[in-house]
This record gives sequence, C-alpha cells and structure tokens, in this order.
Amino acid sequence: MFPDRRRDVALPLLGAAVLWVVFVGGGLLYEMVAGGAAERLVTVMFIDAIVVLGIGIYVGNTGILSFGHIGFGSIAGYTFALFAIAPTEKLKRIPDAPFGLAEVSVGPWGAVVIAVLVTVAVAAVIGVGLARSGAESGAVAATVITLALLFVTHEVARNWPDLTGGERAGLFFTIGGALDSRIPVVVCLAGAVVVARLFATSRSGRLAIVAREDNLAARAMGVNPLVQQMIALLLSVAVVSIGASLRVYEDGSILPGNFFFSYTLLTLVMLIVGGRNSVTGAIVGVAVITAARELARRLGQDGFEVFGVGLDGPPLDWVFRENLQTVVLGVAMLGFMLWRPGGLLDDWELDRWLGRTRAGDAGDPPDDPAPQSPRDRVLVVRDVEVAFGGFRALDRAGIEATTSEVVGIIGPNGAGKTTLLNVVTGVVAPDSGTVILGDLDLTGRPPHHVARAGLVRTFQNLRLFSALTVRENVEGAALAARAGLRDRNDDRAVPGVDDLIVAAGLWEHADRRARELDYGNSRRLELARAAAAAPDFLFLDEPTSGMNDAESLAMVQQVRRMAALVGAGVVVIDHDLNFITSICDRVYCLDQGRVIAQGTPAEVKANPLVQRAYLGGAEPS
Amino acid sequence: MTELTQNLIDGLGRGSIYALLALGVAIVFGVMHLLNFAHGEMITVGGYLTYWTALQGWSWWVAAPLVLVGAVVTSLVIERVAFSRVRGSSDFTLLLTSFGVHFVVSAMFLLYVSASVKTFDRPGWVADTYAVGPLRVEVFDTVVITTAVVTLLGTSLLLNRTMFGLSLRAAAADFDTARLMGVRSDTVIRGAFALSGLLAGIAGIFWLMRAGSTVPSAGIDPMLKGVLAALIGGLGSLRGAVAGGFVLGIAEVVLRSRLPDGIAGLTEGVVFVLIALLFIFRPQGLVSVARAERV
Amino acid sequence: MLEVAGLTARYGAIAALRDAELRVGSGEVIGLIGPNGAGKTTLLNCIAGLVSPAGGTVSFDGEEVTGWAPERLVRSGLALVPEHRRIFVDLTVAENLRIGGVTVPGPQRAQRLAEMGERFEVLADKWDTPAGYLSGGEAQQLAIARALVSRPRLLMMDEPSLGLAPVLVDLVFDLIDELRAEGTSLLVVEQNASRLLAVADRAYVLRSGEIVATGTGEQLAARADLFDAYVGPSVDGESP
Repeated sequence: MFPDRRRDVALPLLGAAVLWVVFVGGGLLYEMVAGGAAERLVTVMFIDAIVVLGIGIYVGNTGILSFGHIGFGSIAGYTFALFAIAPTEKLKRIPDAPFGLAEVSVGPWGAVVIAVLVTVAVAAVIGVGLARSGAESGAVAATVITLALLFVTHEVARNWPDLTGGERAGLFFTIGGALDSRIPVVVCLAGAVVVARLFATSRSGRLAIVAREDNLAARAMGVNPLVQQMIALLLSVAVVSIGASLRVYEDGSILPGNFFFSYTLLTLVMLIVGGRNSVTGAIVGVAVITAARELARRLGQDGFEVFGVGLDGPPLDWVFRENLQTVVLGVAMLGFMLWRPGGLLDDWELDRWLGRTRAGDAGDPPDDPAPQSPRDRVLVVRDVEVAFGGFRALDRAGIEATTSEVVGIIGPNGAGKTTLLNVVTGVVAPDSGTVILGDLDLTGRPPHHVARAGLVRTFQNLRLFSALTVRENVEGAALAARAGLRDRNDDRAVPGVDDLIVAAGLWEHADRRARELDYGNSRRLELARAAAAAPDFLFLDEPTSGMNDAESLAMVQQVRRMAALVGAGVVVIDHDLNFITSICDRVYCLDQGRVIAQGTPAEVKANPLVQRAYLGGAEPS
Repeated sequence: MTELTQNLIDGLGRGSIYALLALGVAIVFGVMHLLNFAHGEMITVGGYLTYWTALQGWSWWVAAPLVLVGAVVTSLVIERVAFSRVRGSSDFTLLLTSFGVHFVVSAMFLLYVSASVKTFDRPGWVADTYAVGPLRVEVFDTVVITTAVVTLLGTSLLLNRTMFGLSLRAAAADFDTARLMGVRSDTVIRGAFALSGLLAGIAGIFWLMRAGSTVPSAGIDPMLKGVLAALIGGLGSLRGAVAGGFVLGIAEVVLRSRLPDGIAGLTEGVVFVLIALLFIFRPQGLVSVARAERV
Repeated sequence: MLEVAGLTARYGAIAALRDAELRVGSGEVIGLIGPNGAGKTTLLNCIAGLVSPAGGTVSFDGEEVTGWAPERLVRSGLALVPEHRRIFVDLTVAENLRIGGVTVPGPQRAQRLAEMGERFEVLADKWDTPAGYLSGGEAQQLAIARALVSRPRLLMMDEPSLGLAPVLVDLVFDLIDELRAEGTSLLVVEQNASRLLAVADRAYVLRSGEIVATGTGEQLAARADLFDAYVGPSVDGESP
C-alpha cells in the first residue's frame, strides 16, 4: 500500500545518498588528480546538476518538453543578484533601479529565498497558461510557450538596463568574494537529488507520471493532470531557482546571455542523454556531458596527440577546432533523439535496483480478501443525442443501472455503444440528454470529475500506462481513488492494490511492465486498474474483444470477482452474446443510436429486432 | 488616426514576413505533426550565402535567387538527414530533433565560418520612403507587402489548384487515407519541406535585407516569430498561420510606438504576455481546427 | 487474383490476426464477416499495406506484395474504401475525387471524374460542396466513387453500409452487383451479413483473429449456427 515506507521513502533516500556520494566523490577525486584548474569545472558541474535535476522534475514526470526553465533561471538569477549585491555596488551600476531595489540588501542566503519565491510566483502564473493551452492543443503548444518565455526573459534582461545592467555591463558583484566555499553547493545538490527522487515516488509525482503515460486514461481514473503538472512545475522551478542563484553567486556576475540558448541546450542535453525519466539518469547525463564537453574543449583548443598522430594538424584539424564543444552538444542531442530517445538509462533508477536485489521474488500472495457490499446508487442516462458532422451517433438513447446488478449493452458495429459510454464518462459532450448518478448531475462534466463521482471505465483499445509496471498501474488508480472517495463522503476502504493484482491473476507479473504483458493479461490489468479507482460503477468497453471462447468465459468470473471486491455495479459493452448472457442481469441492445430492445439476456437474444440488427435481412413480420 | 494607419502599414510590412514564415511552419506541421524549431536555419544559410556573394562583390540580384535555392535545399537536406528518421515519433522526440538540428547547423557555422557577426550591405532603397498624404510609407514595406501578397496568392493557387497541393491538404487531413488513394508519402512530405523552405527563403531575403548581417544563431529570431504566429493562428490551420503572422506583426509595431519610452524595449515582453493571455482565454488559437479524439 | 497465406498481425501484445488464409479469384465477390474485434479491418488494412503483417504473405496477380506501401499497391490496381469512409471533410466533393485519381494521368482524370458524376448523380449536384456537409449516404457514395477513380481491379470495402438507412443500404448492394458485372473483383467486410451473403460468391467468417468458417454465400447463409458464430456459441453449447 502507498506509501510503502521502505520502497517510497527509505530506499529512494538511500539511493539518493549513494548517488550523491558517488557523484560528489567522483568530482572531488577528479579534481585531486587533475589539479586546481579543475576546481571550477567540478563546482560548475555540481551546480549544473542541481539545475538539471530541477528541470527533470517537470520534464521527466510530466513528459512535457520545456525550454523555459532556463528563463525561470534567469528570473531567479537576476532576483538573486539584485537582492544580494551590496547597495554601494548597486549605486555604481544601477542607481536608477525601480522599486527602490538599489538600496535593498538582504545578504546572499536571504536573496536565494527571495529569488525562489519570486520565480515560483511567476511560474504559477505561467503555469496556468501552460495548463490551459496544453489541455487544448497538446504538449506542443505548451512547449512553444516555454520557448517564448526563454526569449522574453532574455529580451527583458537586455532591454531593461536600469534593472539588469543591460546586455554588456550586466551585474557584477562581490559579496565578500565570490562563492568561496563549496559546502553550500553540495548541500543544495543533496537536497535537489532527494527532492527530485522523492517527488517521483510521491502521490503527486506518481499521478503526474500516470498522466504522462496516458493522459486520457489518467483522467478516466479521476486524475486531473493539470493539478499535478502545476505542482511539478512549481517544485521544479524552485529547484532550478536555487541552482541559478548558486550559478550567479559562483560566477560573481550575471549577463543576459548566461541564461539563454546555450545553457538551455547544455542542460537539456544533460537531461536527455542520461535519461529524462530517471534521477540517476540526470546525474549520469551531467557527468557524461561535462566530461565530453571538457574533452571537446581541450581537443579544440590545444589539439592532442593520439598514438603519435597530431590531431591539431592535417588531416584532422578540420574537426578539432575551437567551438567543438558546441557541435558535440548539438550532435549529442540530435543523435540521441534519432537513435536512443530514452537516453542511456531510460527510467532505470538506482534505488529500485537496490531494492530489487534485496527483495528477491514477489513473495506469497495475500489471502483472498472479503468482498464489499455496494452502496446503493442508481445511474440514469436519459435521451442522449450526439451527432458528429451529419452522422447521428446517438438518437435519444438511455440506460438505467443500479450498483447491485450487471447491465449489458450490445449492438452491431457503429450502433453507438462506445459513444454512449463516452458520453457517460465525460469524454464526449452530448448535444442533449442527461447523465444522473444518484442526486448528482454529471452531464457534460470532465472525465476526471465523472471518475471521482464514481463512474470508472476501461478502454476498448487498451490504454494502459505501458512503461509502468503492473503494480504501478494499479497503484496509480488507487491513489486517484482516495480523492474520489473523499468527494463522495464514502468511508469505504480503498481496495488493496495487492488484493486486486491477485484477483486479476497477475501476482507473478506484478513487477513487469504493462507493455510486456500478453493480450489477456493486459485486459485483466485494465480491469484491475479500473477497480482500483474505487468506482460505484465499472464501465467495461469490450472486455473480451480479441479473446477466444475459453478466455471470454474466464473473464466472466474475473469481472464478477473484481466488482464484488470493490462493491461496484457493472455496465459492460460487448459483442459476445455468450459472455453477456453469462454475466448480465439485464441487457440493452442498441442499433443506429437507438435502444431497440431491453430485458433479460434470453429475451434480448430471442428478439427478432436484435437478430436483424446483427445479421441484417428482411423486416421481421 | 493617422498614427494608427501608419502603424497598420508598418505592421503589415512586418507581418508579411511573419506570415510567410508561419505558413511554412504550418505546412510542415500539417503533414508531419512536427513543429519545426529548425525553420530559421533556412535563413541562417541564406545569410551566409548573401555574405559570400557580398564578398564576391555581387549584387542582391544574385544573392536573392541564391537565398531561395539555398533555403529550399537546406529544408530538403534537413528533412532527409534528420526528420525522415523520426516520422511518427512522439512529440517530445520530434521537438527535440528539430531543436537539435538548429544547434548542429548553427554550430557548424560557428565552427567553420566564424563566431562573429558577418555584415553585408543593405540594398540602397531599404531606408527610402515616400509620402501618401500624411503617411510615410517605406519603399521596402511596399515591396515586402506586394511580394508577400503575390506569394500567398501563389501558394493558395498551388494548394487549391494543383494535384500536389491537393495531395498535401489531403495528407494533412488524414495521412493514411491519402496514401490509400495513392498519394506518395515521400513526395508529399518532401514537397511540404520544399514549399516551406521556399516560403522561408522569400521571407529570408527581406529579413536579411533589413538586417544587413548574419551570425550562426541568426535563425532563432525568424523561427520564433514563425512558430509563435502559427500558434497564435491555431496550430494546423494554414489560414490561421497567415492571420497569426499579420496579427503578430501589427501588434509588435503598435506596441512599440505606443508603449512609454522607458519600456519600449520591452515590446517583445509585452507581446509574450498578450500571447499568454490569448492562450489562457482562447487556448485553441484564433482559428480552431476540429480534432476528434478517438477512444 | 489475391492470395493471402498465413497472415498474422499484431498491435503490441495483441494478436489481431492469426494465420489468415484467403483467396479472391478474378471477378469474384468475396464477403468477410464476423463480430466486432474479430480482425476484419486489420485483415483489409494488412492487404492494403496500412498495417505491416508480423508474418505470412500477400500476393496480388501472382506477384508477392507483402509489406508494400499503400500508394504502391493502388498503382498496381488494388484499392480500399476504409472503415468510417474517411472522406476529406474540408475538401470539396470534386477535390476528394481528384485525390482518388492521383495515380491517373491528368487528361484521363477529368474524364474519370465526369464518369463518376454520371454514375453518382447526388455527387454531381454537390460537386463544389465541402465533403463535410454531405449526408451519410452521400459520403459513402463519395468514398466508393473516390476509390473507383483509379479503376482498381480489386476493390476492398470496409463496412460500406455502416450507419446508413435501409434504402441507402440497398444502394450499396446494387453498386456491388454493378461492379461485379463490370468485372471488378470485390472483397467486402460488412455487418449486414445476410445481405452480403446473398450477393457474395464466397465468404469467410472471422472470429477472434481466426478464420473459422468459409463457403459459398448460400452455404453460409443456410447455416443455423451463423448467429452463434457471430455472438459466441450459445450457452448450451450445441455449436462447434
């Protein structure tokens, strides 16, 4: 159950500690070998790592590409500089600074706090725009907005010299010397690793990841991705702000160009080369790219001799030239996108690996849990009409169901079954008609709202969170269920994740990724995941599609058991009349958007209208 | 009133260039669902070609066609080398691929030409103006607007009247079905890149005439304008992209002339805030494209 | 004319089609029926080149065409009218037809379009209307006309009567008869099984990705258990 103290807290902390020790230790070791000249390189690498971890909190967990985090960094960097620089310095450089900023002095650590607060406030406003456009036009629109942000902060920094010192002068300062101790940097780095890793295992992080894997499926479980994305954004911007402040502190200056394209490229390359979905990957990426860039810089500058061949002269001098490191970064980005978009580690995580070697196999499954009795609720769907273009998909269709029965919906291809389900679960807004659950009017409400009200669905064409394990799939839904039960004042216990996995017959596959499952198991996982969202009604869209007869019959037991476990009524769409007959108490038959028959399975099956709807043929006399 | 008319004329000049860039972005987005962050590289290449012709002592009459050819070739080469390998990949991969292309191209110029600004002479008439009543109209704006209108009409004819244009629109609407009809995917995608390159080349000539210089990262600005304009207009809509270009151009000019002196330099910042507001209140852009989510 | 052997297709973990064997002779009308999710559309998409098969072969006119791109297959005379029609709603009727004739040389194309205008009179009336404004029946006629512009020797149709009123369904089946008379081979997926079996020379029944029955239209139509083959064996288990 979540949170599992060992898996979600202790091991990530241990993993973060190991990562931090290896990374910082490695840097210091290199410095000892390479001498004092490497000191700055190593410090900068640590700071870069903080920034990259910060970006990863957003980009990795939400899957939305952001070019704007360095823009946020710019805001933080300038805020930091404006508050940290002594008034005497500021009067020399920016005597006309607005808001009386020239006289303010709060010391470097106070300035970091202010920088974080200011930047997070800006991010909150921009986050609203990101969320709205992202929800409407997809992640691409959100990405463009982040890119525009980067440019705007750069423009403002260049063109507001009273505040920023302008393009050439910039802000230079000494606060009793530049950052003269490395301890604050490594402490902040430790914090960044811990925050990044713990966020990914937190409730909010998991829901963000679930929405990253499949936005619509997440919403249908009751997750509102916009909320989780906002939380990820604010946290990530806070971490980036700390890194940016440290960078300004270390440099002892800030110019508009410091937080612009080249730094964006550098940090993004570090993130994707290691693997953007992994904290370990971010650290590995920072190390690899720092090393590669340093090597390229030296090769470009001094030339090298390898096995007696001088790389500085012909025939290779056309490669080893100044600015080689920029080419290396560009090629690294392009190359990884073309051939290994997941990066070196993809989503491999150190602590999960540590946990797995210790835990061994899955252990014994828990005993059969007791079924729960459903709360009495009634779903009434009435007179629903939907037209797509000129095509009338639903023509005053309606169904009723209670939590104590299993209701089937059958009908030929194109009859409007899935459209009806889409209307009920908020995916499609009806032109007219109502969807009422108990005393709640759910007509036209968004999918996550409908799910929280107690209607949870599966998808005909399987929408699992394919990169996540079976357990993570079910857990994601269970996490979303809590909010729904609270909304409904339902004091039922959230169904146990382990129990559901056992009931679905997936215990031995619990730690496999959903995309590795075969078809039958994938279907069963969809069912378990929907049940984990603690619905009052389970809506199943073609749960036996593509199954053979034996599997279909097994599914009857599966559905019954799962529904009993969480105390939910079932509404099931299927073409397989045998399955429907075996499982349903009542059946509706749809044809051309209308309900043409209803009754017990036997009645419906014997209805000539139904036979005709399926097979065509003459009007029954 | 006069000032507003003056702003409108100036804004149309600027907007014409943005519209051509945005249309190119939208055409490629249509067939590949790729928002091309390397769209400005055609202009970077054109800039260095112009610089080279200037070194030879040749005039703009030589440079301009060269910029056009360079832009089309660059667009096609980028498609072949990079984008043809990521067809159908996730948005994330497509976006970062185009971003990577931008960096590789600009890094090449950085490495093999120079990091410093390369200048060339602007044509003599760029700064000339003539009077129409109380208004001062730039010769340059007149040429730009005329060329843009002719180009947009030509593009519209191409898209509506030719088999290629029809294939392009069909493929943008439903790629698989277009293939079922016999539309060759390679032809249509490469054609889209060539057309997008051509439009960027035309915009690029004027962009470079006005700029009079180039740097390795010169493509960023035109790219950003094109992408933002396409987004303002509503991604996927060609008409929207053109409208978005004009809206962006006029908004910039009006703001620049109306903002108080102290913050006139912040025009871009204000424009961004306005765009952000547009997205908050009308997230689908000016022209919305119906998109059904299949479940 | 068309020979499908051992065809298998997967979507991720899902085996949508297993070992399908199917043959369409020259001038034949072949039906393909079965419940939702049985793999009928997948089979047509595999043949048309939209889905790459995981195994097996497709031969057309004695030439192996497995894995060919759809645009190449159209040029060799094989066309598919896709499920849900998939007409280009923003393009006019005439433009939709011109796209259908993208493989036809220019001068001939105009003539073929004129032929379609004569054959489908409702379309001729709405030549310059955006296809999105057509009714369901008109849209279906457009989808078929669009595929006919290239004069395919084998025409595949996926659910041509889906969502149509009965009188329009008649129209679709009349058209199938006409095309057969003109010598076009047809492979038709149809939910209206009785109607299809009445016109088909032979038919295949697909269930859970496998072909479970085959025979002439009359043979299959006469089988009492056809309804069961559709909706699953009945509870008392009398069917195979």
